[in-house]
Amino acid sequence: MNITRRILGKMALSLAGATMLMQAPALAQDKPAPFDNPGEVKIALVRYLSTGDFFQAYLSGVEAQAKALGVDLRVLDSRQDAALQADMVDQAIALGVDGIIIQHGLTESMKEAAQRAVDAGIKVVAFDVNVENDKIPQIEQSDRDLARLALEQAIKDNGENWKAGYVYVAGIAPLDRRDETWKEFKAKYPGINEAAMFGTLDNPIANSVANQARSVLSANPDIKVMFAPYDEFAKGVKIAVDEAGLSSDIKIYSADISTSDIAAMREPDSAWAATAATNPAVVGQVSVRALAMLLAGEDPGRQVIVPPTLITQAQLNENDIKNMEELSAKLPQFAHADVAVPAWMPLPAK
Amino acid sequence: MVENAVFRVEGLRKSFGRIEVLGGVSLDLHAGEVTVLMGANGAGKSTLVKVISGVYARGGGAMKLGGKDFAPATPAEAMRAGVVTVHQNINDGVVADLDVATNLTLDRLSGSGAPAFFNPRRVRREAKIVADRMGLAIDLKSRINDLSLADRQMVAIARAMAHEPKVLILDEPTSSLSSAEASRLFALIDRLRAHGVAILYISHRMSDIRRLADRIVSMRDGKISGVFEEKPLDYEGAVNAMLGRRIHLDRIVVNEAAKTVLAVDGLRIAEGARTISLTLGAGEVVAITGLVGVGKTALAETLFGARASLAGTMALNGRPYAPVTPGDAIAAGVFLVAKDRGENGIVQDFNIYENISLPFLKRLSGLGVLNRGVERATARRQIGELGIVCRTERDEMGTLSGGNQQKVMVARWMSQPANLFILDEPFQGVDISARRDIAAKLRASSGGRATLIFVTELDEALETADRVLVMSEHTIVGEHRNADIDMDRLLAEVAGQPLRGAA
Amino acid sequence: MTLRELAIRYGFLVLLFGLIAYFAVSADGFASPQSAVFIFQSVAITGILALGVTATLVVGGFDLSIGSVATSAMMAAAYVMVVLEQNAVVAVAACLLIGVIVGLINGFLIVYMRVPDLLATLGMMFLLVGLQRIPTEGRSIATGMTMPDGSVATGKFSANFLALGRHRFDFFIDNLLPASVVVLLVLALLIWFFLEYTRFGRMMYAVGSNPRAAELAGAPVKAYKIWAYVISGVFASIGGILLAARLGRGDIASGNNLLLDSVAAALIGFAVLGASKPNAFGTAIGALFVGVLLQGLTMMNAPYYTQDFVKGAVLVVALVFTFALSHRGKA
Repeated sequence: MNITRRILGKMALSLAGATMLMQAPALAQDKPAPFDNPGEVKIALVRYLSTGDFFQAYLSGVEAQAKALGVDLRVLDSRQDAALQADMVDQAIALGVDGIIIQHGLTESMKEAAQRAVDAGIKVVAFDVNVENDKIPQIEQSDRDLARLALEQAIKDNGENWKAGYVYVAGIAPLDRRDETWKEFKAKYPGINEAAMFGTLDNPIANSVANQARSVLSANPDIKVMFAPYDEFAKGVKIAVDEAGLSSDIKIYSADISTSDIAAMREPDSAWAATAATNPAVVGQVSVRALAMLLAGEDPGRQVIVPPTLITQAQLNENDIKNMEELSAKLPQFAHADVAVPAWMPLPAK
Repeated sequence: MVENAVFRVEGLRKSFGRIEVLGGVSLDLHAGEVTVLMGANGAGKSTLVKVISGVYARGGGAMKLGGKDFAPATPAEAMRAGVVTVHQNINDGVVADLDVATNLTLDRLSGSGAPAFFNPRRVRREAKIVADRMGLAIDLKSRINDLSLADRQMVAIARAMAHEPKVLILDEPTSSLSSAEASRLFALIDRLRAHGVAILYISHRMSDIRRLADRIVSMRDGKISGVFEEKPLDYEGAVNAMLGRRIHLDRIVVNEAAKTVLAVDGLRIAEGARTISLTLGAGEVVAITGLVGVGKTALAETLFGARASLAGTMALNGRPYAPVTPGDAIAAGVFLVAKDRGENGIVQDFNIYENISLPFLKRLSGLGVLNRGVERATARRQIGELGIVCRTERDEMGTLSGGNQQKVMVARWMSQPANLFILDEPFQGVDISARRDIAAKLRASSGGRATLIFVTELDEALETADRVLVMSEHTIVGEHRNADIDMDRLLAEVAGQPLRGAA
Repeated sequence: MTLRELAIRYGFLVLLFGLIAYFAVSADGFASPQSAVFIFQSVAITGILALGVTATLVVGGFDLSIGSVATSAMMAAAYVMVVLEQNAVVAVAACLLIGVIVGLINGFLIVYMRVPDLLATLGMMFLLVGLQRIPTEGRSIATGMTMPDGSVATGKFSANFLALGRHRFDFFIDNLLPASVVVLLVLALLIWFFLEYTRFGRMMYAVGSNPRAAELAGAPVKAYKIWAYVISGVFASIGGILLAARLGRGDIASGNNLLLDSVAAALIGFAVLGASKPNAFGTAIGALFVGVLLQGLTMMNAPYYTQDFVKGAVLVVALVFTFALSHRGKA
């Protein structure tokens, strides 16, 4: 553990504070420094991606956990500008924050910025971006597990022999990791025949993917399974399948989930059979918790993996789940992850 | 004086393609004298200036500066030899984004042997010397962009004078200046004259000419048509030599006006100008003539609703007429063939029939839907009437000659009956045969409407009109029935002579 | 007619038919009515936007805001139905109103405030990208979404509205022609007729070619320019309505890809029939051209980045046709 002078100073200060303010709430005394005086703790969230439901939910998780801890949260949003994101880390350093969460980004642009933050004695965790730094724990929503859960369900539903369409855009880290699992499955089950691979990130993504999927379906009308391991892709594929009138002939397996995905999965005769998802809000909470453990001098581990949950159309229908809130309420494994939860950690209200 | 000409041009020739613009021009300039060069548009003044200043290579003849051969290959060479030109477009003479001091010393910065480093203090010191010599009272640190037109002009001239030239050429320097600004310029010119500079001053403005001229040289059709140097100077003779009088091939049978079509009362078209009152009758063709810049186009545009008048009323066929837009004028049957057809008339992307029908689409369409059949029939009729040389009415405008393009413009506005038909410089850039065709067509069709043409060339007025009105200083100063015109009086009016009792 | 003139006039159409023939041979299922209809459907939205931008190109302007007008209209439709719980008519009216207002503001900025067209509409584009996020604080809109104040939006996309994107008309084959394709065809015919056969369209071309001459021919030049931007705004908002009806929710998006694709279609249109100017027929062909290419390439499993490459190549070729080969290039 690398305890810097800044932390020591803070500890000394808060010790002094604790002894002086005897009437401080009992809870605060139960927490390790610096969270016995959390109003003094400043953390920053430096984002690369921010538009879309996933990132919105992730942010709400970060905010909820930060609030539960009582720390001061700054959100810096680079809006997909890699250079700006690196500058924002320096900005956060200048602001004098105690901890930084780096949310997505490019290894090349963030590696050095992250190192500068570490050098400045700031605790850093990274979500979904590899900054190649041993001092920085990686928060991951295990993309391999996501893909595995969805594909296992596909095998369960359709057997081991089917013709597949696959939606993939190379060069996006989570999609690349999901792609590795897809390749493993294809090797393991030679009966899976990938008839077409397509994909695009032109926005609105669902609309562009729908156009492509329509072309693929007219070229390969005998496709049985569409593996679209990103919910925007899955939405596009579903639009195309509906438009081609093939809803009952094709099943879609995907990753990630949102309120509108739930509605799409629950439409009558929906082709969208299952999705594997990590609750983005939970990932946000875990990010803050891992950072808090670092600040408190504890070790969350080199990799903090948030396990995904498989959500099937049948589950949604049985429990009559209409939105994310009901999903969290009715599928407890989705609402909370037992990750990075030391005894002293306050959890957001449910 | 005549013997010691500083600068001498002998038999200068210049052609562009087959068109001869300068047909053997000879001209002397003397030290300490302002020689005014007068000439109508297209007389060859600008070409002459450009040959002298090294922009164009000469086609023949000789130039001598101080007795030695002078044949500049570039403007910079002419400048170094001591012949400096300030062109009509002020902004060619200054760099708008730099300050006055830098502008004044710009030529030294870029010439060979100039120091590689820019030293603002040295620049300002040198600029101050130049400015003081010129009596220039402008803050050297201000940017050209922030200066008035007159100040920019002063800087351009002062910059030219930094070369200590023997010959200074000023090409219509007052065309965009107010009279107060112009008098500052004149003071500067007086100072240069006293320094012994030979000045060639090109202008149309009679007031400038009266103020400055030591000699007047008139130019016409690429030749010197008159030199006037006996005091008092014969201004009318100079104007006459410039406008010229050819023998009129077609004498006009003058029509008398029937009932009044347009009555203009107390119209003021420029700040401080005297008002205009005139009446135009049905069946007559009236020409308004005058030098460039006396307000002919302004009057045409005012009648057509494209420009607001400052005061006055108009009546068309007895009813009040106050057009706010050209659309109003067209609806009232007042049509204008604007000058500079390339900018103001032709829609280049349209073919002939689309150009002809443009103002009258409302009449040629039903419920907003075009009727191409009628459009094309109209165009074919007009092509026949005006003798437009083309393959079909669907030819692109770019394939037509200048004269035929102008005929299309006239044909456009003659395709519908007009109450008042105005043509602003309709013979501009038009060969002689097209000009005859247009004039003949105008006269032949003039019954029932009033026709008003604005021309600078006197010949054009005399060939076309029943009445000739003369404009000067934004007002009408004379009127002549085109039968037995008192040419002397007309020229005096064009030259802006104070009106004699008879008028 | 010389060979060169023939090439300028029909070169692009020949290229299009050649392409169709090539794909019909090499991609199974390409040559079928369903496939043809689908090509139309895939270009319906960008095609409609392209027709709108054509109107601004005709008057010598440009509209960079169409993409964001479309996505803003999509968000507005979703907001009206899901959050305000209104019906399809209100949603459509709200979208069209947005189109009209944006067009008027663009026109006002360009004509009266003298902001250059590219800059004014660029500003509008940014403004709208931000504005569409404000009501939901950046969330996409879908039934059951949680609002910023914690409440849950319970409204639904009305079935009538969704039909705009999903209903299919019988046309020789049952359920063949999607509503969006019908909208595209109707709008294409309308704007084509408007530009080619009405005096308003003719005047708009005159304004674009020589505004001063048009003014002296009695045209209210400023009004025509503003109208062009209103047309562009309304067409973009219709595109947004179809987008919302297809997706069934309000997706946060800048619409930049829509903008680029539709501008490409309009520019490719310059080359069709050697027009060398913006024209509705050419724009429609341009959009189809892109659609055919993408359909064929996707069916042949070409990766997505090759599609952008091919789109760009087509555009460059079209521009060469327009500027180098036609007579206007010499000017």
